[in-house]
Amino acid sequence: MTARDLWLRLRALLLRGRVEREMHEELDFHVEMQTRKHLAAGLGAVDARRLARAQFGSTALVEDRVRDARGIHLFETLFQDLRYAIRSFRRTPTFAVTVVATIALGLGLNTAIFTIFNTYVLKPFDVRDPHALYEVKWLTRSGVAPRFTWAEFETLRHDDSTFSEVLAQQHPLITRIDGRIAFVGLVSGNYFRLLGVDAEAGRTLMPSDAARPGGDAVAVLSHTFWQRQFAGDPAILGRKLLIQGQPCEVVGVVREGFVGLDLAPTTDVWVPMTLAHQMQNGADLFGPEQPRRLDIVGRLRPGMASRIATSPLLLWMENATRHLGKDDQARSVELISRATAIPLSPMTVFALSPVLAGFGLVLLIACANVANMMLARGMARQREIGIRLTLGAGRGRLVGQLLTESVLLAVPAAALGFVISRATIQAGVSVMFATLPSEFTEFMRVVPMPPDARVFAFMVVAAIATGVLFGLAPALQTTRAGVVQMARGDFGSDFGPSRLRSALVVAQITASVLLLITAVVLARSTQRVAAFDPGLRTHDVISLDVRDEARQRIVSALEVHPLVTRIASASTIPLDGMAPTVAATRPGSSAPIRVRYRYVSEGYFDLFDVPIVAGRAFTREEAVAGTPVAILSETAAARLFPDRHAVGETIRIAPNNGKLVPAARINRFATVRIVGLVRDHAADLANDGPATAAVHFPSSAIASNSGLVVRVTGEPEAARRTLDAALAIAVPGGVEEIHKLQEFAAGRLYPFRVAYWVSGAVGMLALLLTLTGVYGVLSYLVTQRRKEISIRVALGANVWAVVALVMGQSLRLAATGLPIGVLLALGAARLFGWRVLMLQAFDPVAYVAGAFVVVIACLMASSFPALRAARLDPMSTLRAD
Amino acid sequence: MTQHSSIDLLQGTLDLLILRTLQAEPMHGWAISDRIQQISQDILQVGQGSLYPALHRLEHRGWIRAEWGVSELGRRARFYRLTPAGRRQLDVETADWEKMSGAIARVLKLA
Repeated sequence: MTARDLWLRLRALLLRGRVEREMHEELDFHVEMQTRKHLAAGLGAVDARRLARAQFGSTALVEDRVRDARGIHLFETLFQDLRYAIRSFRRTPTFAVTVVATIALGLGLNTAIFTIFNTYVLKPFDVRDPHALYEVKWLTRSGVAPRFTWAEFETLRHDDSTFSEVLAQQHPLITRIDGRIAFVGLVSGNYFRLLGVDAEAGRTLMPSDAARPGGDAVAVLSHTFWQRQFAGDPAILGRKLLIQGQPCEVVGVVREGFVGLDLAPTTDVWVPMTLAHQMQNGADLFGPEQPRRLDIVGRLRPGMASRIATSPLLLWMENATRHLGKDDQARSVELISRATAIPLSPMTVFALSPVLAGFGLVLLIACANVANMMLARGMARQREIGIRLTLGAGRGRLVGQLLTESVLLAVPAAALGFVISRATIQAGVSVMFATLPSEFTEFMRVVPMPPDARVFAFMVVAAIATGVLFGLAPALQTTRAGVVQMARGDFGSDFGPSRLRSALVVAQITASVLLLITAVVLARSTQRVAAFDPGLRTHDVISLDVRDEARQRIVSALEVHPLVTRIASASTIPLDGMAPTVAATRPGSSAPIRVRYRYVSEGYFDLFDVPIVAGRAFTREEAVAGTPVAILSETAAARLFPDRHAVGETIRIAPNNGKLVPAARINRFATVRIVGLVRDHAADLANDGPATAAVHFPSSAIASNSGLVVRVTGEPEAARRTLDAALAIAVPGGVEEIHKLQEFAAGRLYPFRVAYWVSGAVGMLALLLTLTGVYGVLSYLVTQRRKEISIRVALGANVWAVVALVMGQSLRLAATGLPIGVLLALGAARLFGWRVLMLQAFDPVAYVAGAFVVVIACLMASSFPALRAARLDPMSTLRAD
Repeated sequence: MTQHSSIDLLQGTLDLLILRTLQAEPMHGWAISDRIQQISQDILQVGQGSLYPALHRLEHRGWIRAEWGVSELGRRARFYRLTPAGRRQLDVETADWEKMSGAIARVLKLA
């Protein structure tokens, strides 16, 4: 197609009237000239004109052929179809509105999900050339994926063979600035330069800021944080903020739209990596211990493929880990794209597939419903379509016209769906904030999710695809009839598309069963988690994460505080995470068992109301001295000493992989004497249930690197605030986090509640759509079989027989859909169930309940058509035709 | 009927005739058909039903260009003019035609 051709076509399309007029004029002129010629040859005026006309033939035909030659017929046809469709929708507005609303609902929910997916997985970061950014990950020979040391980063930084530049960052620290939670990113000095992110006010961090460990205490704020915390105050530059007890001068605000290379959480404040030791507990990042805390992100050299870059990187990592034990040496290196927050990988898609599938099913059910409605309408229009076919309309033309109608309905549905998707996201975010346990909301950072070109493209494609999906089958079905039959005026039951309609309803029932079983499984799991008693006193316990250098002062302040009744420490705060494991062996045995371990202070068991069932608790002396003694949980004792009393026995403790780390704290407890047994309790978020095999070692309340727990009197939230305020005055910047222990339990429950509500809502929506589908099919069936039913009634069938006939039909549909849905649910449970803790995917009650609800719904939906069938008056029906 | 006062045009030859007729000067549709009829001494009659679709088709191909001008009657008329691309196409089609008619003539004479 040449440019000229395109121009002419466009002109013909846009200036239709003018082009048509010109064509008339041209042909008129021809006749005029011919008339002149005849006149000149001596004919009379009337004859000359008549002859010229006759020679010309049919003007309409010539015009049509000219239009054909111009190739604009396609558009003409489309226009006609559109006009026709709009006219017919105007005749049946209820139908059009129902279709648009149904599809809009399905499209809207799916677009909402796609918008979220887009924000986290598809949308590249707002940095320079994001697609060249890759994060380096590596695996040891034993399959662990550790982070990097500062020394390793230094060697990679000076090697520019694969990356043109690399940056280092740590997972954001959680701290409190002016009493409010903030996420602090420790980054190498070249971070902003590499990413090509500028400052909105002041400057960003520069390599000179991170020149030497402990160097300049400067900070750069994100735009959002600046707005939220300081209301966009321009006088912020030069102010000193207390971050982790360090006064840091604010030197700049980063431009809007950049919140770090992670979206969960987003970064609020960036400080140079060189402040790591001042801001973190534990080993010095730059010290001889070389802790593994760094993530490395680099910009690949131009033209370097990520696949090729892994081999020199593996070589580098093998070199860097050569001095370590065999198990800890590098086995493989992987490069993961950092263009988006979550890389688009098969793993990501697999993990998200249950959500995508659930919402996709709703859209499919909606499509099936609309297809059914279109079929019903097709039946009503069978007479019209039959006549048009008989008069010689091409089948392709008719199918095209019916499809135009579907797509025409999909367009307003897409527009409405877009509105629904925005509302869904809005509502989702506010519901989340309203229902989250109160102390968690502070930690939540929701990235704005504006619709972009990808979202619009998704909408358009999805709308057209659904239009074709719900329009194609009915269009093919209704135009299939034989011309001969219709010429006889036979539009009867012979070509009733009942098989297709039944198939659609069976598919709907299948999907509803699947979604409802999922919802009930999740609901029951939520209940189980909620009812789960960890065996620990939590309602009046408050936990604190504190900075090591402030620990002594905080403990002293807490000990004298009137609200605090008991105080203890634990290396891992119960319910806040999972304690690490060690291998415990009884003497004379070579079979170690895996147990979770904690260092706890002497008041720990008393504070949590965990009874000592044998022996005794730690003494203060043991706690301070770190005497090699241990307290086992009942399960651990029973597994180590199934045959005798454990108290007084000795066990050997070794790191889980059997390797001793020099200077590690655990080495002091290589051989321990058991001094007591405590009742089993579930302090960890693991799937171990209450029968947790656990071992406890003594530790003092002021031991570094551990969490503090206190029991308080009075209302816990008020106590939490009072303590927080008191400590903020006594030890400014000393407390990193302070939480009610109850919140951890609520937080553990929250994901279940969300999953249950979402799947419940989606399941109910699916069921509702299915109900209308069943209702529609059976209503149609009753209409179609009314003659037969009337004959039965006339021959003496009673009302119940008729009702049973119709309801039986719906049960038959359910009987096909149910087992398929149950099988799919079982398959999904196998695929995904094991990934979630405390989820009982094969819960028979859930399966029965889900199926039961669907059967009841089918019976309900069919009761209306059944009653209508029962009320049929046989005499008037049989006389009708 | 063995005698023809006029014969139907072979498929595809109409384009060639139109292009050739327009070689001399721009013309409107009627003049093109009249000229073809005159020069062929009334043997080739171009029906309107094929002439105008052909003109529009050639215009879409970019071989001729239509412009409104004033006709000999003083009335507005659509004049068609050969474009450079049309001129090249005319050369190609003329060569093809000569090759083909020569070949047919030889077959008729010698076969």
